[in-house]
Amino acid sequence: MAKDRSTSSDFTGPLRRLLLAVLILLLGAIFLLWRIDSPRVERFRAQITDRLVPNLDWAMAPVTGTINLLRDFQSYQRLSEQNQELRSELRQMQAWKEAALQLEQENARLLDLNKVRLDPRLTFITGVVLADSGSPFRQSVLLNVGARDGLVDGWATMDGIGLVGRISGVAQNTARVILLTDASSRIPAVIQPSGQRTIVAGDNSAAPPLDFIESPDLVRPGDRVISSGDGGVFPAGLLIGQVTADPGGRLRVRLAADYERLEFLRVMRHYGTEKVTDNAQVISPAGPLPVQTEAEAEVSE
Amino acid sequence: MNDLSLSRLWAMRASFLFLALVILFFHLLPMETTPRRWAGPDLLLCFACAWGLRRPEYVPALALAIAFLMSDLLLQRPPGLWALLALVGCENLKSRGRSLRDGGFAAEWVSVAMIMVLIMVANRLILALVLVPVPGLTLSLSELGMSLLFYPLVVAVTHGLMRVRKTAPGDLDALGQRV
Repeated sequence: MAKDRSTSSDFTGPLRRLLLAVLILLLGAIFLLWRIDSPRVERFRAQITDRLVPNLDWAMAPVTGTINLLRDFQSYQRLSEQNQELRSELRQMQAWKEAALQLEQENARLLDLNKVRLDPRLTFITGVVLADSGSPFRQSVLLNVGARDGLVDGWATMDGIGLVGRISGVAQNTARVILLTDASSRIPAVIQPSGQRTIVAGDNSAAPPLDFIESPDLVRPGDRVISSGDGGVFPAGLLIGQVTADPGGRLRVRLAADYERLEFLRVMRHYGTEKVTDNAQVISPAGPLPVQTEAEAEVSE
Repeated sequence: MNDLSLSRLWAMRASFLFLALVILFFHLLPMETTPRRWAGPDLLLCFACAWGLRRPEYVPALALAIAFLMSDLLLQRPPGLWALLALVGCENLKSRGRSLRDGGFAAEWVSVAMIMVLIMVANRLILALVLVPVPGLTLSLSELGMSLLFYPLVVAVTHGLMRVRKTAPGDLDALGQRV
């Protein structure tokens, strides 16, 4: 018996070792390929996710629903407490609402007086969150809208209130949103009312720090942080959150979007900011003269 | 005597892949969208170690490679590296399974801990060498600690619920030979 065994392992052992070596080489090659040509492999990853995750949706939705139900059930226990809190909050909110309505009317009047034209092309498309990143090292969610719906890499994503993240990786039916809290997320922003430019640099914490502030003395906790649109890839004027200072004195932004419950996200369509391409022209009493191109200049000579 | 049949062997191989899919499924549920201070256990690696030490023939290298590569791709890790290290670690454990069979659980736990620590260190080292941003140290350490804490539980589930047990000295393998 023992001899049989050893002969059989003589036969299968080398084969098994060969298979293992091939697998190791293959995995190493995939990693090197990813390191060298990351976009191609990331596209492959997006396609794999696109194939797999929407198929699991039928199972994911009820399980997620059940777990959320159980979580909500825990909060029922302190329902009366919550009721009291909500009532006092509501009283405060009514005062704020009155102030907001007055400000809105005033704002509309001022805009009208100034003949300000707001960007009419900023429309949005809403998607449902299918899955999260699945690991605590990455902060991203998967939406059920993709290239089929005209999504493009780099578009901004908001929940109802504030900026959530940016599209990074579009497949046919799904798209991945890198959240502002992810360690690789960098968004140019401006702090109001001081107008300081800054970068919201995610670091895998709930409140991303603000980098590259020119004079931090002008910035106070409570100031509003909105996207600045610098670099032309991201729409300007989207609310990100409020400045806070952590115990170490570092300025961070408390995000306006509700990251606890990301269910529906708006993807803002953004076709880039237009550039002024005209040169300066000579103006005569009859209006601007046509620009003389180089070819015409040569002919006239 | 059910252990003898070839169909059971393939059923267990398939059920390992199914287990991997279930673990990934629960990872992907959109429950956690806020950053966490700590990380949960890497259950896939725990189960792979537990199964590999008990019944190496149920988790062939190919199945391990597929499961780990899928987890790499779906969980946004650099694809290939973690899979490669975990595969090498599990194969090492499988080859040592025969000698660990007679030792107690403590010996098994210690050797699994060593393998997991080596995998984590090698992963961080290689990522740093090829200039990829390394994941946060507290997160990695908490994941490692939780994995080690959960390992006895995973072994209990493997042994009790899934009926994947160490071969006793008199058992026969699928081809009717003494293992």
